[in-house]
Amino acid sequence: MLLELNHIEKRYGGVAALTDGNLAVDRGEVHVLVGENGAGKSTLMKIIAGIVERDAGQMLWLGSEVHLKTPSEAGAIGISMVHQESLLAPHLTVAENLYLGREERLPFGWVRRRRMFESASRLIAEHQFPLRAEWRVEKLTPAGKQLVEICRAILHGSSLVIFDEPTSSLSGSETAEVFRIVKTLRERKMGVIYITHRLNELQSIGDRITILRDGRTVHTAPLAALTSERIIHHMVGREVSAIYQRDALPPGDELLRVEHLTRVGELRDISFSLRAGEIVGMAGLMGAGRTELCRALFGVDPIDSGKVWVCGREVQIASPKEAVKAGIALVTEDRQITGLALRLPIAHNVTLANVPAISRFGFLDAGAQNTAALDFIGRLRIRAGSTRQLAGRLSGGNQQKVVIAKWLFRQARIFLFDEPTRGIDVGAKVEVFNLMNELAREGAAILMVSSEMPELLQVADRILVMREGCITGELPGRTTQEEIMRCAALETVTEKHL
Amino acid sequence: MSQPAIEHAQAPPASAKTGRELFVLQRLLPFLSLIILFVALAIASPHFLTSTNLSSVVRQTAVINIMALGMTMIIITGGIDLSVGAILAMGGLLGTMAMEKGLSIPAGVLIGILTGLACGFANGIMITSLRIEPFIVTLGTLGIFRGTTLIISNGLPVHRIPQQFSFLGEGNLLGVPFVLWILVVCAIVTHVILEHTRLGRYTFAIGSNREAAVYAGIPVKFHTTAVYAIGGMLTGLAGMIEASRLMTGQPTAGQGYELQAIAAVVIGGGSLHGGEGSVIGTLIGAFIMGLLSNGSDLLGVSPYVQQAIIGAVIILAVTLDELRKRRTKAA
Repeated sequence: MLLELNHIEKRYGGVAALTDGNLAVDRGEVHVLVGENGAGKSTLMKIIAGIVERDAGQMLWLGSEVHLKTPSEAGAIGISMVHQESLLAPHLTVAENLYLGREERLPFGWVRRRRMFESASRLIAEHQFPLRAEWRVEKLTPAGKQLVEICRAILHGSSLVIFDEPTSSLSGSETAEVFRIVKTLRERKMGVIYITHRLNELQSIGDRITILRDGRTVHTAPLAALTSERIIHHMVGREVSAIYQRDALPPGDELLRVEHLTRVGELRDISFSLRAGEIVGMAGLMGAGRTELCRALFGVDPIDSGKVWVCGREVQIASPKEAVKAGIALVTEDRQITGLALRLPIAHNVTLANVPAISRFGFLDAGAQNTAALDFIGRLRIRAGSTRQLAGRLSGGNQQKVVIAKWLFRQARIFLFDEPTRGIDVGAKVEVFNLMNELAREGAAILMVSSEMPELLQVADRILVMREGCITGELPGRTTQEEIMRCAALETVTEKHL
Repeated sequence: MSQPAIEHAQAPPASAKTGRELFVLQRLLPFLSLIILFVALAIASPHFLTSTNLSSVVRQTAVINIMALGMTMIIITGGIDLSVGAILAMGGLLGTMAMEKGLSIPAGVLIGILTGLACGFANGIMITSLRIEPFIVTLGTLGIFRGTTLIISNGLPVHRIPQQFSFLGEGNLLGVPFVLWILVVCAIVTHVILEHTRLGRYTFAIGSNREAAVYAGIPVKFHTTAVYAIGGMLTGLAGMIEASRLMTGQPTAGQGYELQAIAAVVIGGGSLHGGEGSVIGTLIGAFIMGLLSNGSDLLGVSPYVQQAIIGAVIILAVTLDELRKRRTKAA
């Protein structure tokens, strides 16, 4: 065995993150690690990568016990990690990042730039990565940044590479690229630990699977021996009625109408409408302009031309403030950056967009705030200790619920969901869908941007497809993935303006 | 506000109780240090526990303390104001000049406060509309305000001030220094603003995550500007107190005060990353510094050594606070 972890335990303060973590990875194996958020995956990986130290248990590397105290100790014995959020220095070039911290030791800290660039270029060419050594990292896409981290692992002769949800922010073709690379690592007899939330990826990439639940390893098996249903069963410890049922609702009044909306360089001649009680899906590849559309509608980026009506009245939305006032809510794809104040309590986050509702003459009513927060914690089944728990200490799914609660408390009627299920686990996903369904039933209009086509097919009444800043198709909810892909990637099929 | 993390553990283990006690202890550490310092000085020097000395500590500390209250709000938004020392001088100068020209004392004080308000407002407007970092903007206005003050005064202090003006900084009310009353009122008002008003809520939200505040539809620019204006206003008031204590409008007053005000906030648990800080913490921070310098004076420690001691205390306090935060931050 390359790596073996036995009965690993780890506590943070009084909170047990891991109680019995077990994992064994062999050379030339892609080992998939799954589990709901909070199951202890990240903690286990941090222990392997030397970011945190274990409290108890045994870690064997090539058969002998090791105690890693820092990431550089882990790197020195051959363990690398490709992080979910990139840990590269954005202002440096690809080559500089590849050698960061491992520059040649020359007198006076001298760096031989040319040689560094040449060897980086050779490595990139050898693997046919779509990168160049002299590019600045800040200009790269998320996939590009991951490639840089993978290059780093290869360059420094790692024998074990950990991927922490590598595809969660990638488009279809980029995902395929990551898979190709993972396979080359396996062919080089390296070990790979692959963490993912996308269960449909597993079969095409993994050899074996380990499932964590509530801080302990509950199952390890060859992937071929398990169906998706069994995996979900092990992850949540109960049968999930994962089949989400969308109510059939007659569409109501038109709440949002967009005509010929254009933002030079990003959005071209966008026209569509949303009705009360409707969930409209928005499909497209990465960079098709879906997030840009949400930002423009929400007043984050100015529009160059076009008209927007809310509830039949034409509105000019020049800032998020005005969008919120008009009753529009945006659940952003990066909730930690734009959705939540992580260091503030849940109660503050829930009421953030509607503080006037819990204050009189500018003074806050602590009772009203607490009632509101408790109400939403109960209604959305947010798993939290109290209303004063910090938002940053919740799991991804619960954080997403807090964001939604914020807009419910604001009594928004038009919801723009941008990748609402990114980084949240299966159980929470279904809950988010049910929440959207409930919103629709209560008369909200919902636009849901998602890169996961099965999700769209499951949830949406109709699906708009974007490509290169235009809406290139409108499809019924009961369409197929092939149909969506055709609109998203190929030529326009139906150009239908409402 | 910040809640002990351990309270939310699903199943507290046996060690959690002692962990919790340790935690509470660490939270109280600044306050305990203040008490210990107080007791130690009372034992070490017979002159410490005299009413003359104690009221002199209060008077010395009040100026920095009142500035630090505004700085607390500014730092909670994730900003900083390096120009407060210069604002203090300008407020003090214009206020005393007004009295010299024959205006009444309350009118003069009001002018000093309004001068501070205007300067803080200018800082806020520039920070929010030019979108330049507060550090840079206030580094610039530090020079501008100080320069303007020197130009207006021609570098000369204002001396012809009505005698009764000294009451503001040196008088007693009900047996306690008048400045202590002012400080208590300012502290209560600032505390109430921060913890119980919309402005306070937005102050924390902006400092904790400015982007999220914008996306929640909060008028971020307006509230940021308001916080700098309030900070300026408090500094203008501090400027009048300083002028009253010296009985001069000194254009060079307040040099280096900005750093003392920032130090008080930071010792009291404020984070320069924003989102954290409290009035009580800041008060404790300012009094710790005040006692340290008073104690050194009484014990005959040279002023050179004093500076080094206070510097070391800043680093020590922030280190302990960081350790506490790291311990309670679970994955």
